[in-house]
Amino acid sequence: MTTIESGSATRPAVVRNRTRNVVRLQFVNTQTFVWVPALVLGGAWVLTMLIYWILQNAGVTGVKTGGGSQAPLWYFLVVGIQAMTMTFPFSQAMSLTRREFYVGSLAAAAVSGLGMSLVFVLLGLVERATGGYGMNGYFAYLDWLWQGGPLAAGLTYFVLTMLFFIVGFWSATIYKRYGTAVLTTVLIGIGLALVGLVALVTWQQAWPEVGQWILDTGALGLTLWAILVSVVLAAGSYLTLRRMPA
Amino acid sequence: MDSVIEVRNLTKRYKDVLALDDVGFDIQRDTIYGFLGRNGAGKTTAMSILTAQNLPTSGQVRVFGEDPYENARVLSRMCFVRESQKYPDDATPRHALASARLFFPQWDQELADDLVEEFQLPLKRTIKKLSRGQLSAVGVIIGLASRAEITFFDEPYLGLDAVARQIFYDRLLTDYAEHPRTVLLSSHLIDEVSNLIERVLVIDAGRIIMDESTEDARAQATNVVGDTAAVERALRGREVIHRESLGRVASVTFVGRLDAAERDALAAAGLDLAPVSLQQLIVRLTQQRTPGRDAFAAEAQEGSLR
Repeated sequence: MTTIESGSATRPAVVRNRTRNVVRLQFVNTQTFVWVPALVLGGAWVLTMLIYWILQNAGVTGVKTGGGSQAPLWYFLVVGIQAMTMTFPFSQAMSLTRREFYVGSLAAAAVSGLGMSLVFVLLGLVERATGGYGMNGYFAYLDWLWQGGPLAAGLTYFVLTMLFFIVGFWSATIYKRYGTAVLTTVLIGIGLALVGLVALVTWQQAWPEVGQWILDTGALGLTLWAILVSVVLAAGSYLTLRRMPA
Repeated sequence: MDSVIEVRNLTKRYKDVLALDDVGFDIQRDTIYGFLGRNGAGKTTAMSILTAQNLPTSGQVRVFGEDPYENARVLSRMCFVRESQKYPDDATPRHALASARLFFPQWDQELADDLVEEFQLPLKRTIKKLSRGQLSAVGVIIGLASRAEITFFDEPYLGLDAVARQIFYDRLLTDYAEHPRTVLLSSHLIDEVSNLIERVLVIDAGRIIMDESTEDARAQATNVVGDTAAVERALRGREVIHRESLGRVASVTFVGRLDAAERDALAAAGLDLAPVSLQQLIVRLTQQRTPGRDAFAAEAQEGSLR
């Protein structure tokens, strides 16, 4: 009986820390959460630098910008998928609730995403200070993104990593729970909805207004919208996971 | 009776299979249960639902008086490592054990270290690359060292050799003696675990067909050993479960008990009573529901498994 009593004494603390420990559980996959994203970001940076260098030597002295810094964002789709498929079954063996697992996984993604955003902002600051590495080439310091300053740029980058993570996580949950056919149907459904939106804007001949709205809202404003979308998707993802068998 | 688990009218239906059919039973505190039944009888489904890893179609499950679903208070007192447990891709046994230490409040690191040594588990190899036996060892170590108040072992011995299985049985018993807890052990090696288990819970085709102490279960049948002719005379038309003979000596197990007079008669005829094999008894019980099967062929199938 003593065992059971000593157990009750320590239990509340353990229950509280469980969600936090899920972050450590996820980071067992250091490769998924740290090394591969770092590699994608570093690789994209190196490739971009090489291209700028070639252009610079070919006499292209104007402002050079590229989309290389979005590469790690796409990888966060994969991080989301792997966080779900690899670790969910084990989390069940660790007697975790689905909610603890989900909140902890989001926190793990946030840790990783914050790291990426920090690197992104630091690169941008370096680029701003050195005039694009002395060759007018920008990887992270993209005018439109940095309108609101370094913090806003970092926030945008961070929100996008989380958005991609959640989309990946939700897709993986739908796939694991309902199978390929349902996931494909859902994706086609989303595609149709987007096409419908495009059709609507086109028929209304509203593209100039839409363009103007995007410009007016700015990167920071769009980021705030992205936060809203992320929250909605995160809630949907949780509802799908909530009754998922291991 | 002090129950830690109460199951009432539990039904689980997969698309075209009724895995659990209106099942009800109680699990007593600090008892080792043998949870027995054929493949596909519903053992894993039942254990998954008790640990909220799966959800019932209908019915009620109470663990420590509460619904275990999404209930951290209840779940943290249970441990269920599946026979086909999946681990994170890059994980090594070291990672898995370190994680278990984080989540099981009564985790005993010393016991875990001991077991790693006894099972000769390579800690730094990724789990993907472990042999079937080593993979089972990871689950067994988590199950034992977590010292959860209710621990489920779902065929924990797959790929383990006889020595490793004996280590598991011995360690389970020793640790159970020092730290009593409730254990549900599902196994096909019924005779191997029969000395371990205090109660037998037999499930067949989604229904519980036996729920009693191992002793009472054994007492349902009688095993007589002695001169073949004398044994045959003693049977007197009883239903035979199992028959073995070597030369002029036969050992026959039949359904039913003997009264005092019959015992005396047996002794007078020079026959001995021997312990009944739990396995033979359960094979007979679970076989009745699959009509048209040859008794001995089916037994050979179950008994020689793995």
